[in-house]
Amino acid sequence: MFKQITDLSGNEWYLIASLWIFLLFFITVGIRLFRMRKDDADYMKGIPMDDAAQPEDDSVN
Amino acid sequence: MQLTKFNYDNKIVRNFAVATIVWGIVGMSVGLLVAMQLVWPFMNFDLQYTTFGRIRPVHTNAVIFAFVGNGIFMGAYYSLQRLLKARMYSDFLSGVHFWGWQLIIVATAITLPLGLTTSHEYAEMEWPIDVAITIIWVVFGINMFGTIIKRRERHMYVAIWFYIATFVTVAVLHIVNSVQLPISMWKSYYLYAGVQDALVQWWYGHNAVAFFLTTPYLGMMYYFLPKMANRPIYSYKLSILHFWSLIFIYIWAGPHHLLYTALPEWVQSLGVAFSIMLIAPSWGGMINGLLTLRGAWDKVRTEPTLKFMVVALTAYGMATFEGPMLSLKKVNAIAHFTDWIVAHVHVGALGWNGFMTFAILYWLIPRIYKTELYSKKLASTHFWIGTLGILFYAIPMYWAAVVQGLMWKEFTPEGVLKYPNFLATTLQIIPMHMLRAIGGALYLSGALMMTYNLVKTMKKGRLLANEPAEAPELTPVVVNERAPHRRLERKPILFLVLALIAILIGGIVQMMPTFMISSNVPTIASVQPYTALEIQGRDLYIREGCVNCHTQTVRPFRSETVRYGEYSKAGEFVYDHPFLWGSKRTGPDLHRIGKKYPNKWHFDHMLDPTITSPGSIMPAYPWLIEQTLDASTTKAKLNAMRILGVPYTDEDIHHADANLLEQAEGIAADLNGQGLNVRADKEIVALIAYLQRLGTDINNAPEAKTVND
Repeated sequence: MFKQITDLSGNEWYLIASLWIFLLFFITVGIRLFRMRKDDADYMKGIPMDDAAQPEDDSVN
Repeated sequence: MQLTKFNYDNKIVRNFAVATIVWGIVGMSVGLLVAMQLVWPFMNFDLQYTTFGRIRPVHTNAVIFAFVGNGIFMGAYYSLQRLLKARMYSDFLSGVHFWGWQLIIVATAITLPLGLTTSHEYAEMEWPIDVAITIIWVVFGINMFGTIIKRRERHMYVAIWFYIATFVTVAVLHIVNSVQLPISMWKSYYLYAGVQDALVQWWYGHNAVAFFLTTPYLGMMYYFLPKMANRPIYSYKLSILHFWSLIFIYIWAGPHHLLYTALPEWVQSLGVAFSIMLIAPSWGGMINGLLTLRGAWDKVRTEPTLKFMVVALTAYGMATFEGPMLSLKKVNAIAHFTDWIVAHVHVGALGWNGFMTFAILYWLIPRIYKTELYSKKLASTHFWIGTLGILFYAIPMYWAAVVQGLMWKEFTPEGVLKYPNFLATTLQIIPMHMLRAIGGALYLSGALMMTYNLVKTMKKGRLLANEPAEAPELTPVVVNERAPHRRLERKPILFLVLALIAILIGGIVQMMPTFMISSNVPTIASVQPYTALEIQGRDLYIREGCVNCHTQTVRPFRSETVRYGEYSKAGEFVYDHPFLWGSKRTGPDLHRIGKKYPNKWHFDHMLDPTITSPGSIMPAYPWLIEQTLDASTTKAKLNAMRILGVPYTDEDIHHADANLLEQAEGIAADLNGQGLNVRADKEIVALIAYLQRLGTDINNAPEAKTVND
């Protein structure tokens, strides 16, 4: 399994660079999330529960 | 704070819901028919418009773009309005979107059985339909972004991020995969050839699964599951990580569809590595969904909608674990081209997409009709029949895959193939295909039950076309939010741009070197362009959808080189617009079929496959013998190929008709010399010319030569 991602005939920099890009991206997002305020997360979680719909009126077709 | 009154547009939601149900039944019925054709070939009805090769794409496109597509729009139009606290931007655009999409579906359902196909899997529609898809997709985008811009909720909920990513990525995928050169109203050639075309097609094919069958459904999961369970999503932070990781990683994994082919090794390895990494965000989403039900599992016992959602999420988890496993080369070597891939796809399609669509329909229809579901008991029965259907579908297919995959590779102690006749492996799995058809029939019967239940529900209630709502208008932002993602959640255009960047990186890293660096596709001096007659024959091969059952790529395994011949090289496909490698071996690989059998063998085989291969499940193609080849397009086709880079000379094009006739007369004379009565202008002659050319150029050179030599 590992040979297929190590034996790349000199082209391994594609793979290594790609993995680094993802790793940096993943760590950055992770740090941001760690520092995110709980209130903000709770507010966002609640959005679908409040759909602003009102009781039925005479607009029924 | 003053509240503004407005209405939600439920009529457009209802329209898309009805279209979802109707096209779902059509797509599943055609699927059942093609499943039965693989057991009982007489169900091809000896009609060219109903053969497996032509209608299998009708099934795939119907369930993907008609059933799931309308399901996406139903869910998105319902949830967008409520999450943004605004009516859709324009009722007119909603109408154009709805009717435009249905016309595209009808046009596809008409043209594909007529053989008007590009052959790119899941994108078989010819260029006028591609243009229509682009226009309607833009209409959807304008309507969606218009609604986002006039919203009354400052921050965009996670479901909307998934809709935005879906919109922008599908647009990119569709445009790149549809770059074609038309030669007439219903015929075109792809810009790319061979290896490049394969990479583009599977970059598209894989990410169509990702961004049409997955991300919009994840968006709907994030909205509808909390509504159904009446509790918020388990972790909003996890949803952020889930979203960005998923859209970033998914785009890289396409090459795992092309392992062991002529695609450069480094691209294959990138595809494998990112496929394994893909488990993490996929399971992050599944876990976030399942944990939303914590404390509400008792409701799963009584609510059919939640039952469907739990199985949908489980199927998502199974399929997204299985996909990376299939991308491991050792597993792929056995599983690829077998029914395993069909089972894998259907666990996702039937379980994830189908069951979530059913759940949303059962939840949504009673709400917009302001009534209760007609029968919960019937919905529960649907759930159990549908689940049984999935099991009856998937398990026999896994079984068939392992049986056939191992039979293909088995050698005797003497070192020869134990099953040299491909047909022996096909006949072995017919019972499993029968069970698969029963599974499909069960699943379809469940969908019919749902239709009855929902029709009765609609009749019981009354559509609330304009649902009243009220919310305060947005006020200008006075406090600058410190958290970057918090700021991003209220900036839709920036969000779109960042999502676009995230999905472009993987595609660029993989595609640019394959397109720009010539050493990635070594050329072979002896490989020459097809003759005029062979080009026409190739287009008949495309028209009949032969690529749906036959691959044209011999992998570098002893079991394949012994069975088929020399393994396929990238340089052999440089004039193939489009590539025709295929993805499934219902029949044997054809890349080395050229000169393997005499012309008469091919004639007999197309007239009735059981003449040459008793017990064959391949349909007969008698019309190829009766129909006259349309040679009026020959020069236009060669001209188009020359524009695309195939080195035809002026003389080749000028004498195209004469050259075509000369080669056709040679084949006809050979056939007539063996007691047949065949005219040179019949379609069968062109097809034989193409088949006899396949994979033979490499034999003309003692050594393959690359540009590096």
